[in-house]
Amino acid sequence: MSNSARSEIFARLRELSSKASEEDIQRDRRALGSAPAPAPETLEICEAFLANVLKNHGSVDCAGNRSEAVKAIGYHLYSHFRSHRLVAGNDRRLAAMPWRDAGVLPRFGSLEVGEPVALSFAQLGVAETGAIVTWTGKANPAAHNFLPEHHIVLVDTADLVPTMETAWARINQEFKKNGRPRGINFIAGPSSTADIEGVLVYGAHGPRKWHVILMGKVPASALEMARASNMPA
Amino acid sequence: MEQHSDSFLDNASAALKNTEQAKRLDMIAVFAPQMRTAAVAGFKEFDALRDHVKRIRQHSLDHLEHYLGQFEHEAVNNGNHVHFARDGEDLNSIVLDICQQHDARRIAKGKSMVTEETSLNAFLQRAGLQVMETDLGEYIIQQAGETPSHIVAPALHKSADEIRQLFQAKHDLGARELPETVDLVGEARQVLREHFLKAEVGIIGANALIAENGYSMLVTNEGNGDLCANLPRVLIVCTTIDRVLPLAEDATAMLRLLVRSATGQSQTSYTSFYSGPRRETDVDGPLETHFVLLDNKRSEILAGDYREMLECIRCGACLNHCPIYTSVGGHAYGWVYPGPMGSVLTPLLTSLEQSQALPNACTSCGRCAEVCPANIPLPDLLRDLRHEESVKKLSAPRWRFGLKAHAWLARRPSMYHTVTAIAINVLHLLGRKRGSFSRLPLAGGWTSERDFPAPQAKTFMQLYKAQIRQNDE
Repeated sequence: MSNSARSEIFARLRELSSKASEEDIQRDRRALGSAPAPAPETLEICEAFLANVLKNHGSVDCAGNRSEAVKAIGYHLYSHFRSHRLVAGNDRRLAAMPWRDAGVLPRFGSLEVGEPVALSFAQLGVAETGAIVTWTGKANPAAHNFLPEHHIVLVDTADLVPTMETAWARINQEFKKNGRPRGINFIAGPSSTADIEGVLVYGAHGPRKWHVILMGKVPASALEMARASNMPA
Repeated sequence: MEQHSDSFLDNASAALKNTEQAKRLDMIAVFAPQMRTAAVAGFKEFDALRDHVKRIRQHSLDHLEHYLGQFEHEAVNNGNHVHFARDGEDLNSIVLDICQQHDARRIAKGKSMVTEETSLNAFLQRAGLQVMETDLGEYIIQQAGETPSHIVAPALHKSADEIRQLFQAKHDLGARELPETVDLVGEARQVLREHFLKAEVGIIGANALIAENGYSMLVTNEGNGDLCANLPRVLIVCTTIDRVLPLAEDATAMLRLLVRSATGQSQTSYTSFYSGPRRETDVDGPLETHFVLLDNKRSEILAGDYREMLECIRCGACLNHCPIYTSVGGHAYGWVYPGPMGSVLTPLLTSLEQSQALPNACTSCGRCAEVCPANIPLPDLLRDLRHEESVKKLSAPRWRFGLKAHAWLARRPSMYHTVTAIAINVLHLLGRKRGSFSRLPLAGGWTSERDFPAPQAKTFMQLYKAQIRQNDE
């Protein structure tokens, strides 16, 4: 059935098509260029990213190095769960973190039902929207993004990109190196819904809390400035 | 979905009497435009972006055969099965076949207006499958046995009280009060989580298909669609052939328009791109993935005068800004797509005969066209549909007579000016004392609700000419 439907649909589209060659179509698309960029970001990239994460109702922390990052994770876990347990994918970068510095005990593998916290090491952070990007694989099972109560995400300042176009340029490099991952997830906030009378509630299905830790050389005032830019005028 | 658009006027009258629902619609009419305006203002190049995406959409539709073919090729390379469906019946049987091949009993479904169009749920349920909608709004209306009233927020017509009673009746969870919205959301989360973990097949829609790499884009805030896409062992993506875009960056450029126009965010919590089944190195994800690409008259629309309607990105902004939609709500329109976009789309996807009232559900105020992120001239398309109704003699004879009389007069400017000047003068003289009319011949519908103000003595043209003469002197 679907085969004859396919030929019927394509036959109809062929009648309507411009009959242009593939080269011409590609040339036409190139001539249309890229989307106008969002207004040039006046903020420094770390500050812009942090400000947008806050705008997306995420919580943020900054860490100058891996040891500080581990401590920030430990602090978050202890203050919310009175525990130092979490699950992380088999990500080499996460395995190499100095976990003992904060007494955190990650279990490396896939989140099991009932485990409350997952940690991901983002592939990218997008300043334009305050989104983090992960892709599926051993390093970050998809369930870690969507099933836990809290999702903690580490972002390296070196992986910050200004816009979604620059994010795609980086993703296309990954395609060339390792092929297309099954899923690419841009995450910009905790799971939320406003389906009941327009009231915003977190934790519709996935994480109730989304905590982003920016690791690396973050300008001293960036977090403070990001918080200030989110204050009501 | 069964269509009831022919009873639009009755539906609308009933809706206007429902004061509780009217209050919630008033909230949409006030807050949704404010949120959109703020989000659009925050993106300085919004108009230039809108023009760019429009050119991309036009280019994609001009070369739809090429891009759809390219998408199919890439999607198959990524390990997908790609199916084509002529109409709703085709789509439904393809999906059922896949479910039956896997002996699936439980289906977890993300929000998809396309599958509302084809009545997929009812079809699968008749075959004995347990289909659970997982978007909270869709879940609520599924439990209530209702249909969506808004394409983005399908259960906006229901109050928290109604939802509380519904959950208490439907969920076998013992005595509990569920006092706050957060408790209601929590209960739905608990019930649906179990279903997600047991479902054998996940069904989602797509906001775009990307020709260059075979990915589909899914935009949600709840993350329910992502659970459907990642947990069950089979994934089926149902969408229409017109959703295809050339490049990945085209999808995210459109995303900038979509999210700001729909919810006033700059990006939703989850924007996901899925390419196919689990890879060798993956530890989770579906083992088998399918795309079902539906035509259902899209290729006909592409060939006709209303092809711009295929550029609609389903943001719902035209609904939130429409004085008719925000007065009568989505159910009055009697099918899947309400508001201005629905009033154009419904006649095209069903028939003008069945949907004759919808193109008339318009005040020609133009707000929908102003806010449409796809720059679709909705009022013009609605007018063209009304014209078609008139040509096909679908509208009431007295309307056609009235319009013909008006057209005859309007084409004779000097006679038009004379006749209107006389009429205005007569009305002025008659209404001079009271200042308004409580009844007028031929305008009973209007004056049954409010008084008609008595006109000034002169018409606009008389005053305008007098002004010019004065300026000349």
